[in-house]
This record gives sequence, C-alpha cells and structure tokens, in this order.
Amino acid sequence: MHKNRLFIIRCLFPALAIYIFVFAYPTLRTIIMSFFNMKTISTSIKHWKFAGINNYLHVFQAPIFRQSLLNIMRIWFLSGAITIFLSLFFAVILTGNIRGKQFFKSVIYMPNVISVIALGNMWLHYVFNYKYGLLKTFFSSLNMTGLASIQWTSPDFIFYAMNIAYSFGMIGYFMLIYVSGIERIPAEILESATIDGAGRFRSFISITFPLLKDVNKTVFTLWTVRVVGFFALSKVFSPIDSSPQTITPMVYAYEAMFGADFVSVEGRIGIAASACVVMTVIIVVMFLLSNALTKGDHYEF
Amino acid sequence: MNSKPIRIRPFLNKLWGYLAVCFWLVFTIVLVGWIICASFSTTREIFSGKLLNSGFHIENYTRALFKNNVALYLTNSVFYTLSSCFLILLISIPAAYVISRYLFLGRRLLQYLFVASLGIPTVMITMPLYSLIVRMGLLNYRAVLIFLYTAISVPFTTYFLISFFVSIPLSIEEAATIDGCTDDKTLWYIMLPIASPGVLTVTIFNFISIWNEYFISLMFINDSKLRQVGVGLYSMVQSMTYTGDWSGLFASVILVFLPTFVLYLFLSKYIIGGITAGGVKG
Repeated sequence: MHKNRLFIIRCLFPALAIYIFVFAYPTLRTIIMSFFNMKTISTSIKHWKFAGINNYLHVFQAPIFRQSLLNIMRIWFLSGAITIFLSLFFAVILTGNIRGKQFFKSVIYMPNVISVIALGNMWLHYVFNYKYGLLKTFFSSLNMTGLASIQWTSPDFIFYAMNIAYSFGMIGYFMLIYVSGIERIPAEILESATIDGAGRFRSFISITFPLLKDVNKTVFTLWTVRVVGFFALSKVFSPIDSSPQTITPMVYAYEAMFGADFVSVEGRIGIAASACVVMTVIIVVMFLLSNALTKGDHYEF
Repeated sequence: MNSKPIRIRPFLNKLWGYLAVCFWLVFTIVLVGWIICASFSTTREIFSGKLLNSGFHIENYTRALFKNNVALYLTNSVFYTLSSCFLILLISIPAAYVISRYLFLGRRLLQYLFVASLGIPTVMITMPLYSLIVRMGLLNYRAVLIFLYTAISVPFTTYFLISFFVSIPLSIEEAATIDGCTDDKTLWYIMLPIASPGVLTVTIFNFISIWNEYFISLMFINDSKLRQVGVGLYSMVQSMTYTGDWSGLFASVILVFLPTFVLYLFLSKYIIGGITAGGVKG
C-alpha cells in the first residue's frame, strides 16, 4: 500500500504541477492584473498600482473594444447559423442510406486539419480575389454581373467574407459531433416513425432534433469557446492593421499587450488583462446558460 | 399504382443528399486544385487567367523553400511538434492511468479541472507566462515553446486517455500483479499496448493542433530563425503581397498545407473515429 501511494504521487505530480503552473496560477494572476496598472507585462508586483475597476470602465468605453465584442456576437450568430445548419444537414445525409459515407466525411472534415493561416489565405487570395477569384470568375461565366462585381475584400464585405471562410473550416468538426449524436439514437425509434408514415424531414424535426438535446448543449459551449478565441483568421483578413470590420477581443487584447496605437500606452497592460477576463466571463456565462436552458428532463436511450 | 410515390420519395431524398455532398466535394477540389495549379504558374499567368500556360514552374517552390525560408519553418515545426507530442504522452499516460485505476481524494475534482482547461482562452494565461519567461530571460528559446505546447495539451490528453484506461478490464492487471509485476512495468508494458489505439488517436489530434498553432508562437518567438510554419507563413504572405510574388505566395501556402494534408490522407480513419467516439477537440 505504501508503495502504491508513492507510485500515485509520482505519476500525478508532473501533470498536476503543469496544470497549476500553466493554467491555475496564470488565470488567477490575470484576474488580479485586471484590477491594477503596470508599465509592462513583466513589471513586478511591487510596482503595480491599484486601479479598481478602472480598467473595466476603460475597456467598455473604448469604441474599438465594443466593436470587437459586437463583431464576435455577429460571428457567433452569422457563422453559427451557417455552421450549425450545414453541419446538421450533412450529418443527416451522412447517417442516412448513402454510399461513400466515410469518404464524404473525410472530405468535409479536411479543412480542420489545415493551418488556419494557410486556409485563410486560400480564401482571401483565391476565392475572394477581385481579379481572378473563384466567385468573380464563376458569376461572370454565368453573366451574373451584380454578384460578380462584389468586392469581397472591401471594408463593406470583408466581414462576410471572413465569416464564410470561417464556417467552411468549422462545418466538418461539428458535422462529426452531430454524426456521433445521431448514430447513438436507436434505429428502432426512427424505423417506427417511418412505419407510421413520417417523411425524412418530419422525422428529423419531431424525433432526431429533440433527441439531440445533449449534443446541442455541447455544440453551444464548444462554439462559444471557438468564437471567443477567434484570432488567426482575423489577422489574415486584416493583414496590415487591425480594422474595425474584423477585429475581435483576442486581437484587441494582443494589440493592447504589445502597444498598438488605438490602446493608450498608459495602463494598456491592465486593460489587456481586463479584456481577457471579459472573454473568459463570456465563456463561463454561456456555459452556465446552456446548462440552465437544457435543465430538466433527459432522454434515456 | 399507389406504390409509386412511396418509392420515389426515398430516391429523391437520396438524390438531394448526393447532390449536396458532391457539390461540397467539387468546391473543395476546385479550391485546392486551382491553388496547386497557381503555385506552378507565373504571377502574370495567375492574373491573366491562363494557369500553367508556360509549363510547370518548379522554381516557385525552390524560391519559397530556400529564399523565403519555408524549409527552415517546416524543420522547426517538425521539431517542435514531435518533441511536444512525445513529452505530452510521457506526462499524460501515467496521470491518466492513476486517475482511472486508483481511488484517492480529489480524483473527480482533477478530472473536472482537466476538462475545464478547454474553456480557458489561451490569451487568459499568456500574460503571466510571458512575464515570467521575460524575467527569466527565456524569450526566443525553442525549449520554452515546446514546454508551453506540452503544458497546454496535457490536461485534455489526460482526460481523453482516462476513458481508454477505464475500458480495459481490471483482471489483466490483477494477473500481472500476481505474476509479480511492479506498478511501473504493468503500466508501460501491459496497459500501454492495450491502450495504444487511444494513445494514437489523441497524438494525431495533438500533432495537428500543435502544427497549426499560431498565437503562442507569435507571442513567445520573435527570432525569424526560430519561427514555425504558422507565423512564418503569415509574415511571408505579407512580404509577398508587398513584392507582388503571387505564385510564390501560393507555393508557400501549398507547402504549409501539404504536411497535415498528407498525414490526413493516411490517418483520416483514426481522426474521424476519434471524434465520433466522443473526443471533443479538433
């Protein structure tokens, strides 16, 4: 027994130490930093000045941070609608009676294994290009001049362009989560619905979707975590400077840490920390919300 | 007579299904295919819409690889990714095994903490770490990047592996203990081989997410010689759009795209199986 205890400690220690050092301690310290002012990121605690909730006041009054919050809200809804709709749609198709399921699943999931920087540039510099781009040549060949003349990379459209590229990369992952959810529904339930004369659409609306409640809860949380962490694609779609169309809170926090023009030099570190805390709070609130919304009866099967 | 509509409906349903997935397939092929063709063409051909008009320009790739340092970035990434994947397993396997097999105080709490790490945005933990690393004078060290990649992946990997160890019957270890096997030997020689499908799946996920990581390496590596592919490609694309080297840009994109894509061609079965079996990371 004594030997066992030593073995347990020896096995757990590295993982636990890493967790404390890289997750627990930095999270707490960032929260504390958000209530202080300091000159640089590496200023020692002795020279921090207490700022109360000033950093939070600053961050919520800063137009660019508010814009970034608005942007991720719009990304959450717009990309969310595209991604969830298409991933459910493909999941239903690929759990049905169709050939080459494995192959099509692999194709749709593929963008997830590609570097976001590479994928983003493929969209930005090919699909959305205004000279030789895919959308431009496709709509021109159909003589749809209105659609062909859309300048996807102009300030008016870049946000939508970014959302389309983002959804393309996300669909495969959520499709697989829905596939696993649908496959866990016993076949007899859907069979009996078919025998009772329900069509495919009807049985999806009345049976499959309600039974996916727990999966939807997971998707809701995962989607929020992804959107709050929106960073690399925003950088790709605004290559020179962060622009109000594409900025996200994470880009804002990063720029504040390293001193972009739009965040005042004084106290920018504390401001960055408070932006980080706001992002984490969003995730926690959405997680609690999803738990509260799906509380109550659970389906057993 | 009346049986007709019943037969037609499943057929139509199927047809729509095929049309939708085939549309997606064609789009993906056009997207990747066009960029591959563009990467072998000249910049003038790209703009005039006559791809590959003057044959294959392999020099786009040699220029990207050696003049623009993609070869260096690729080597760096291979080194960072493989070292981290190995270290993650070294730490996560024993932890997952102990959590799945021994009863001790705080066992449940540990599991919750490990999953909760998925909900903490990376940016939340980077400032204090950055501050520590700057004060220790460790900015621009390969080992620091490898350590951070390892540390960030350990909680989820441990959580994922617990479910694999739980599914292995206890009788196997009991037999090993009776035969005089020590705890360490049981873990590494008996349990690990049985859990290897789970270890392989989670390692593929770790490989892909570390290979494609961008934010951490952007923060902790400034030296261009130490860059990995994400940061390298980003800065390269910026300079290439500035100099107007579009064929070089597409060649670099393909060079960064290829490694994980080729890996995926061989391992997609494990990746898809891993997510549909309940892994929640992609």
